[in-house]
Amino acid sequence: MMTSISWRRELAWTISLLGLAVILGIMFHWSLVQASLRGNLTALLDQKRQERREVQFQGVKTLDLAQAYQIWQEKRALFVDARKAEEYQELHVQGAVNVAPETWEELSASELMKMDRMREMVVYCSQESCDDALKLAKKLRAAGFTRVLAFTGGFRAWDEAGYPADTSR
Amino acid sequence: MRFVSSGAGIVLGGLFVYAGVQKHLAPYEFAEAILAYQLLPVGLVGVVAATLSWIEIVSGISLILGCLLPSRRFSNPFPLDGILRRSGLLLILGQSLLFIAVLLITLVRGLKIDCGCGLFFQRQVGLESILEDALLLGVAGWLYWRECRTGGREEESLVLV
Repeated sequence: MMTSISWRRELAWTISLLGLAVILGIMFHWSLVQASLRGNLTALLDQKRQERREVQFQGVKTLDLAQAYQIWQEKRALFVDARKAEEYQELHVQGAVNVAPETWEELSASELMKMDRMREMVVYCSQESCDDALKLAKKLRAAGFTRVLAFTGGFRAWDEAGYPADTSR
Repeated sequence: MRFVSSGAGIVLGGLFVYAGVQKHLAPYEFAEAILAYQLLPVGLVGVVAATLSWIEIVSGISLILGCLLPSRRFSNPFPLDGILRRSGLLLILGQSLLFIAVLLITLVRGLKIDCGCGLFFQRQVGLESILEDALLLGVAGWLYWRECRTGGREEESLVLV
Protein backbone atom coordinates (compact mmCIF):
# COMPACT_ATOMS: atom_id res chain seq x y z
CA MET A 1 0.00 0.00 0.00
CA MET A 2 1.07 3.55 -0.60
CA THR A 3 2.64 5.47 2.27
CA SER A 4 1.69 9.01 3.26
CA ILE A 5 4.99 10.21 1.73
CA SER A 6 4.12 8.74 -1.67
CA TRP A 7 0.60 10.21 -1.38
CA ARG A 8 2.04 13.67 -0.76
CA ARG A 9 4.50 13.21 -3.60
CA GLU A 10 1.73 12.07 -5.89
CA LEU A 11 -0.48 15.01 -4.94
CA ALA A 12 2.40 17.44 -5.48
CA TRP A 13 3.00 15.98 -8.96
CA THR A 14 -0.71 16.17 -9.80
CA ILE A 15 -0.91 19.83 -8.73
CA SER A 16 2.29 20.61 -10.66
CA LEU A 17 0.89 19.00 -13.82
CA LEU A 18 -2.34 20.93 -13.35
CA GLY A 19 -0.37 24.16 -12.94
CA LEU A 20 1.68 23.41 -16.05
CA ALA A 21 -1.50 22.77 -18.05
CA VAL A 22 -3.10 26.02 -16.84
CA ILE A 23 0.05 28.02 -17.74
CA LEU A 24 0.24 26.43 -21.21
CA GLY A 25 -3.47 27.03 -21.81
CA ILE A 26 -3.25 30.69 -20.80
CA MET A 27 -0.08 31.18 -22.88
CA PHE A 28 -1.51 29.62 -26.05
CA HIS A 29 -4.93 31.28 -25.80
CA TRP A 30 -4.08 34.59 -24.17
CA SER A 31 -6.42 36.61 -26.44
CA LEU A 32 -9.35 34.39 -25.41
CA VAL A 33 -8.51 34.67 -21.70
CA GLN A 34 -8.02 38.43 -21.96
CA ALA A 35 -11.32 38.98 -23.80
CA SER A 36 -13.11 36.84 -21.25
CA LEU A 37 -11.67 38.69 -18.24
CA ARG A 38 -12.44 42.06 -19.84
CA GLY A 39 -16.04 41.05 -20.54
CA ASN A 40 -15.58 41.09 -24.34
CA LEU A 41 -15.94 37.34 -24.87
CA THR A 42 -19.30 37.38 -26.64
CA ALA A 43 -18.12 40.01 -29.12
CA LEU A 44 -14.89 38.08 -29.77
CA LEU A 45 -16.78 34.80 -30.31
CA ASP A 46 -19.21 36.51 -32.71
CA GLN A 47 -16.29 37.96 -34.66
CA LYS A 48 -14.39 34.66 -34.80
CA ARG A 49 -17.55 32.74 -35.81
CA GLN A 50 -18.20 35.25 -38.58
CA GLU A 51 -14.60 35.00 -39.83
CA ARG A 52 -14.71 31.18 -39.81
CA ARG A 53 -18.06 31.07 -41.61
CA GLU A 54 -16.91 33.49 -44.30
CA VAL A 55 -14.19 31.01 -45.21
CA GLN A 56 -16.02 27.74 -44.56
CA PHE A 57 -19.38 28.72 -46.12
CA GLN A 58 -18.23 31.10 -48.80
CA GLY A 59 -21.08 32.01 -51.15
CA VAL A 60 -23.94 30.99 -48.84
CA LYS A 61 -26.30 33.94 -48.38
CA THR A 62 -27.64 34.61 -44.90
CA LEU A 63 -30.76 36.23 -43.46
CA ASP A 64 -31.58 37.91 -40.17
CA LEU A 65 -34.80 37.37 -38.21
CA ALA A 66 -36.72 40.30 -39.76
CA GLN A 67 -35.86 39.20 -43.31
CA ALA A 68 -36.77 35.59 -42.57
CA TYR A 69 -40.12 36.62 -41.09
CA GLN A 70 -40.89 38.83 -44.05
CA ILE A 71 -40.23 35.98 -46.49
CA TRP A 72 -42.37 33.67 -44.34
CA GLN A 73 -45.25 36.19 -44.34
CA GLU A 74 -45.04 36.54 -48.11
CA LYS A 75 -44.98 32.71 -48.39
CA ARG A 76 -42.19 33.09 -50.94
CA ALA A 77 -39.94 30.30 -49.76
CA LEU A 78 -39.96 26.81 -48.39
CA PHE A 79 -38.60 26.77 -44.83
CA VAL A 80 -36.24 23.87 -44.21
CA ASP A 81 -35.55 22.79 -40.62
CA ALA A 82 -32.03 21.35 -40.34
CA ARG A 83 -32.39 20.16 -36.74
CA LYS A 84 -32.84 16.63 -35.43
CA ALA A 85 -36.24 15.00 -36.07
CA GLU A 86 -37.17 15.03 -32.37
CA GLU A 87 -36.52 18.78 -32.08
CA TYR A 88 -38.51 19.42 -35.25
CA GLN A 89 -41.41 17.31 -33.96
CA GLU A 90 -41.48 19.26 -30.71
CA LEU A 91 -41.74 22.68 -32.36
CA HIS A 92 -40.78 24.20 -35.71
CA VAL A 93 -41.43 27.20 -37.96
CA GLN A 94 -44.98 26.88 -39.26
CA GLY A 95 -44.94 25.14 -42.64
CA ALA A 96 -41.30 24.05 -42.45
CA VAL A 97 -40.11 20.63 -43.63
CA ASN A 98 -37.46 18.69 -41.75
CA VAL A 99 -34.16 17.57 -43.25
CA ALA A 100 -32.38 16.23 -40.17
CA PRO A 101 -28.55 15.98 -40.17
CA GLU A 102 -28.72 12.17 -39.92
CA THR A 103 -30.48 12.08 -43.32
CA TRP A 104 -27.98 14.29 -45.16
CA GLU A 105 -26.00 11.31 -46.42
CA GLU A 106 -29.05 10.27 -48.46
CA LEU A 107 -30.04 13.80 -49.45
CA SER A 108 -30.06 12.88 -53.14
CA ALA A 109 -32.89 10.40 -52.46
CA SER A 110 -35.02 12.85 -50.47
CA GLU A 111 -38.30 14.44 -51.57
CA LEU A 112 -36.56 17.81 -51.56
CA MET A 113 -34.50 16.83 -54.59
CA LYS A 114 -37.66 16.46 -56.70
CA MET A 115 -38.37 20.17 -56.32
CA ASP A 116 -37.74 22.89 -58.84
CA ARG A 117 -34.14 24.04 -58.51
CA MET A 118 -35.35 27.66 -58.70
CA ARG A 119 -37.51 27.24 -55.59
CA GLU A 120 -36.49 29.69 -52.89
CA MET A 121 -35.52 28.01 -49.64
CA VAL A 122 -34.75 29.29 -46.14
CA VAL A 123 -32.74 26.86 -44.04
CA TYR A 124 -32.46 27.19 -40.27
CA CYS A 125 -31.11 25.19 -37.33
CA SER A 126 -31.41 25.66 -33.57
CA GLN A 127 -29.55 28.87 -32.78
CA GLU A 128 -26.99 31.46 -33.86
CA SER A 129 -24.01 29.32 -32.84
CA CYS A 130 -25.02 26.21 -34.81
CA ASP A 131 -23.60 25.63 -38.28
CA ASP A 132 -26.12 23.06 -39.54
CA ALA A 133 -28.23 25.60 -41.47
CA LEU A 134 -25.12 26.78 -43.33
CA LYS A 135 -23.92 23.21 -43.92
CA LEU A 136 -27.29 22.15 -45.37
CA ALA A 137 -27.57 25.35 -47.43
CA LYS A 138 -24.14 24.59 -48.89
CA LYS A 139 -25.22 21.04 -49.71
CA LEU A 140 -28.43 22.25 -51.36
CA ARG A 141 -26.49 24.78 -53.43
CA ALA A 142 -24.16 22.00 -54.51
CA ALA A 143 -27.23 19.97 -55.50
CA GLY A 144 -28.26 22.75 -57.87
CA PHE A 145 -30.67 24.86 -55.82
CA THR A 146 -29.75 28.43 -56.66
CA ARG A 147 -31.95 30.39 -54.24
CA VAL A 148 -30.98 28.96 -50.87
CA LEU A 149 -30.71 31.27 -47.87
CA ALA A 150 -29.53 30.45 -44.36
CA PHE A 151 -31.41 32.02 -41.45
CA THR A 152 -28.58 32.12 -38.92
CA GLY A 153 -30.63 33.24 -35.90
CA GLY A 154 -32.19 29.79 -35.91
CA PHE A 155 -35.36 28.50 -34.30
CA ARG A 156 -34.46 30.02 -30.94
CA ALA A 157 -34.63 33.57 -32.37
CA TRP A 158 -37.89 32.73 -34.18
CA ASP A 159 -39.47 31.24 -31.06
CA GLU A 160 -38.28 34.06 -28.78
CA ALA A 161 -39.85 36.59 -31.17
CA GLY A 162 -43.15 34.75 -30.76
CA TYR A 163 -43.52 34.00 -34.48
CA PRO A 164 -45.84 31.18 -35.64
CA ALA A 165 -44.64 27.68 -34.79
CA ASP A 166 -46.14 24.22 -35.19
CA THR A 167 -45.69 20.93 -33.44
CA SER A 168 -45.81 17.51 -35.09
CA ARG A 169 -46.74 15.67 -31.89
CA MET B 1 -2.59 -8.42 -16.73
CA ARG B 2 0.11 -5.73 -16.73
CA PHE B 3 -0.07 -5.57 -20.55
CA VAL B 4 -3.84 -5.13 -20.39
CA SER B 5 -3.56 -2.29 -17.87
CA SER B 6 -0.67 -0.65 -19.76
CA GLY B 7 -2.63 -0.93 -23.02
CA ALA B 8 -5.77 0.50 -21.37
CA GLY B 9 -3.68 3.35 -19.92
CA ILE B 10 -2.22 4.22 -23.32
CA VAL B 11 -5.64 4.14 -25.02
CA LEU B 12 -7.21 6.22 -22.24
CA GLY B 13 -4.33 8.72 -22.30
CA GLY B 14 -4.52 8.85 -26.11
CA LEU B 15 -8.24 9.64 -25.99
CA PHE B 16 -7.62 12.54 -23.62
CA VAL B 17 -4.76 13.87 -25.75
CA TYR B 18 -6.94 13.61 -28.86
CA ALA B 19 -9.91 15.35 -27.19
CA GLY B 20 -7.61 18.06 -25.81
CA VAL B 21 -5.94 18.70 -29.17
CA GLN B 22 -9.35 19.04 -30.87
CA LYS B 23 -10.32 21.69 -28.31
CA HIS B 24 -6.93 23.41 -28.49
CA LEU B 25 -7.25 23.72 -32.28
CA ALA B 26 -10.76 25.21 -32.04
CA PRO B 27 -10.70 27.30 -28.84
CA TYR B 28 -13.44 29.71 -29.89
CA GLU B 29 -15.85 26.91 -30.82
CA PHE B 30 -15.05 25.24 -27.51
CA ALA B 31 -15.72 28.51 -25.65
CA GLU B 32 -19.09 28.70 -27.43
CA ALA B 33 -19.86 25.15 -26.32
CA ILE B 34 -19.01 26.02 -22.68
CA LEU B 35 -21.08 29.20 -22.91
CA ALA B 36 -24.09 27.18 -24.07
CA TYR B 37 -24.06 25.20 -20.80
CA GLN B 38 -24.92 28.47 -18.96
CA LEU B 39 -23.10 27.27 -15.84
CA LEU B 40 -20.16 29.68 -15.62
CA PRO B 41 -19.96 33.47 -15.52
CA VAL B 42 -18.86 34.81 -18.93
CA GLY B 43 -15.66 36.11 -17.35
CA LEU B 44 -14.54 32.55 -16.60
CA VAL B 45 -15.64 30.85 -19.83
CA GLY B 46 -12.55 31.96 -21.78
CA VAL B 47 -10.20 30.88 -18.99
CA VAL B 48 -11.81 27.42 -18.78
CA ALA B 49 -11.86 27.04 -22.59
CA ALA B 50 -8.18 27.96 -22.76
CA THR B 51 -6.99 25.73 -19.92
CA LEU B 52 -9.25 22.65 -20.04
CA SER B 53 -7.84 21.53 -23.39
CA TRP B 54 -4.33 21.60 -21.93
CA ILE B 55 -5.39 19.81 -18.75
CA GLU B 56 -6.65 16.99 -21.00
CA ILE B 57 -3.46 16.99 -23.06
CA VAL B 58 -1.11 17.07 -20.05
CA SER B 59 -3.01 14.36 -18.14
CA GLY B 60 -3.12 12.15 -21.24
CA ILE B 61 0.60 12.58 -21.96
CA SER B 62 1.43 11.93 -18.30
CA LEU B 63 -0.52 8.65 -18.34
CA ILE B 64 0.97 7.53 -21.66
CA LEU B 65 4.52 8.33 -20.52
CA GLY B 66 3.88 6.52 -17.25
CA CYS B 67 2.85 3.42 -19.17
CA LEU B 68 5.79 3.59 -21.60
CA LEU B 69 8.69 4.67 -19.39
CA PRO B 70 10.93 1.88 -18.10
CA SER B 71 10.39 1.18 -14.42
CA ARG B 72 13.29 2.12 -12.10
CA ARG B 73 11.67 1.10 -8.84
CA PHE B 74 14.56 -1.11 -7.71
CA SER B 75 16.83 1.92 -7.56
CA ASN B 76 14.13 4.43 -6.58
CA PRO B 77 11.31 3.90 -4.04
CA PHE B 78 9.14 6.46 -5.91
CA PRO B 79 9.70 5.67 -9.61
CA LEU B 80 8.84 8.35 -12.14
CA ASP B 81 6.72 6.03 -14.26
CA GLY B 82 4.39 5.21 -11.36
CA ILE B 83 4.10 8.85 -10.29
CA LEU B 84 3.31 9.94 -13.86
CA ARG B 85 0.68 7.21 -14.24
CA ARG B 86 -1.06 7.99 -10.96
CA SER B 87 -0.92 11.79 -11.42
CA GLY B 88 -2.34 11.44 -14.94
CA LEU B 89 -5.04 9.11 -13.66
CA LEU B 90 -5.97 11.46 -10.79
CA LEU B 91 -6.39 14.33 -13.26
CA ILE B 92 -8.43 12.13 -15.61
CA LEU B 93 -10.63 10.93 -12.73
CA GLY B 94 -11.24 14.52 -11.65
CA GLN B 95 -12.10 15.64 -15.19
CA SER B 96 -14.39 12.67 -15.84
CA LEU B 97 -16.30 13.31 -12.60
CA LEU B 98 -16.60 16.99 -13.49
CA PHE B 99 -17.83 16.21 -17.03
CA ILE B 100 -20.43 13.73 -15.75
CA ALA B 101 -21.71 16.21 -13.15
CA VAL B 102 -21.99 18.98 -15.76
CA LEU B 103 -23.73 16.69 -18.26
CA LEU B 104 -26.20 15.43 -15.61
CA ILE B 105 -27.05 18.99 -14.53
CA THR B 106 -27.55 19.98 -18.19
CA LEU B 107 -29.71 16.92 -18.89
CA VAL B 108 -31.90 17.67 -15.86
CA ARG B 109 -32.24 21.29 -16.98
CA GLY B 110 -33.42 20.06 -20.37
CA LEU B 111 -30.91 22.06 -22.44
CA LYS B 112 -30.49 20.65 -25.96
CA ILE B 113 -26.94 21.70 -26.72
CA ASP B 114 -23.84 20.24 -28.33
CA CYS B 115 -21.81 18.47 -25.65
CA GLY B 116 -18.47 19.93 -26.86
CA CYS B 117 -16.82 16.68 -25.81
CA GLY B 118 -14.14 16.89 -28.49
CA LEU B 119 -14.06 13.19 -29.38
CA PHE B 120 -14.85 11.66 -32.73
CA PHE B 121 -18.24 13.11 -33.63
CA GLN B 122 -20.49 15.98 -32.61
CA ARG B 123 -23.39 15.03 -30.41
CA GLN B 124 -25.86 16.58 -28.02
CA VAL B 125 -25.83 16.33 -24.26
CA GLY B 126 -27.66 13.12 -23.41
CA LEU B 127 -27.35 9.66 -21.94
CA GLU B 128 -24.84 8.64 -24.65
CA SER B 129 -22.34 11.33 -23.68
CA ILE B 130 -22.83 10.56 -19.97
CA LEU B 131 -22.25 6.83 -20.56
CA GLU B 132 -19.14 7.63 -22.61
CA ASP B 133 -17.69 9.65 -19.71
CA ALA B 134 -18.81 7.00 -17.22
CA LEU B 135 -16.85 4.43 -19.26
CA LEU B 136 -13.73 6.63 -19.18
CA LEU B 137 -14.24 7.12 -15.43
CA GLY B 138 -14.59 3.36 -14.97
CA VAL B 139 -11.36 2.57 -16.84
CA ALA B 140 -9.45 5.33 -15.00
CA GLY B 141 -10.89 4.15 -11.67
CA TRP B 142 -9.92 0.55 -12.36
CA LEU B 143 -6.35 1.53 -13.34
CA TYR B 144 -5.97 3.73 -10.26
CA TRP B 145 -7.38 1.00 -8.00
CA ARG B 146 -4.79 -1.43 -9.44
CA GLU B 147 -2.05 1.11 -8.82
CA CYS B 148 -3.12 1.59 -5.18
CA ARG B 149 -3.62 -2.14 -4.61
CA THR B 150 -0.26 -3.21 -5.96
CA GLY B 151 1.66 0.00 -5.31
CA GLY B 152 2.82 -0.34 -8.91
CA ARG B 153 4.62 -3.62 -8.13
CA GLU B 154 2.89 -5.50 -10.95
CA GLU B 155 3.10 -2.50 -13.19
CA GLU B 156 6.30 -3.06 -15.00
CA SER B 157 6.40 -0.80 -18.01
CA LEU B 158 5.19 -1.92 -21.39
CA VAL B 159 8.67 -1.38 -22.80
CA LEU B 160 10.90 -3.63 -20.74
CA VAL B 161 14.60 -2.89 -20.44
